[in-house]
Amino acid sequence: MPKHEFSIDMTCEGCSNSVTHVLNKLRDVQFEIDLPNKRVCIDSEHRVDTLLATLKKTGKSISYLGEK
Amino acid sequence: TNQSVTQVTVVNIEGMTCNSCVQSIEGVISQKPGVKSICVSLVNHNGTIKYDPLLTCPEDLKSAIEDMGFDASLSAKTE
Repeated sequence: MPKHEFSIDMTCEGCSNSVTHVLNKLRDVQFEIDLPNKRVCIDSEHRVDTLLATLKKTGKSISYLGEK
Repeated sequence: TNQSVTQVTVVNIEGMTCNSCVQSIEGVISQKPGVKSICVSLVNHNGTIKYDPLLTCPEDLKSAIEDMGFDASLSAKTE
């Protein structure tokens, strides 16, 4: 499965929890959140657009770093 | 006919731990149609939202906050 890496402006536990929640709602995703480095690595068949739109729901600034 | 009505609702929000969470919520919710103003309190775990009842409702606002990945519930005193 393709692995996508995103940079998300997370500053605390609450931020990363909110990212966890929205990703869990999307389903069929496996992900790891690296809070200190503000990175999220997502393992999924979903399109990057879909992943981006989902992450944007958190209201944080996000950028796509590419496939890993 | 230009007169718009403003109602106020208080939504309990759990899961916010810092100011950045507060700003994210205020940023997203204030963009929603019908929302006139929102003030989120980290200490009180809630958000006070002024809205136009013709365009949105407390249920809508609650689910918008849930969509962002926070636990939200409507305050009992809001009716």
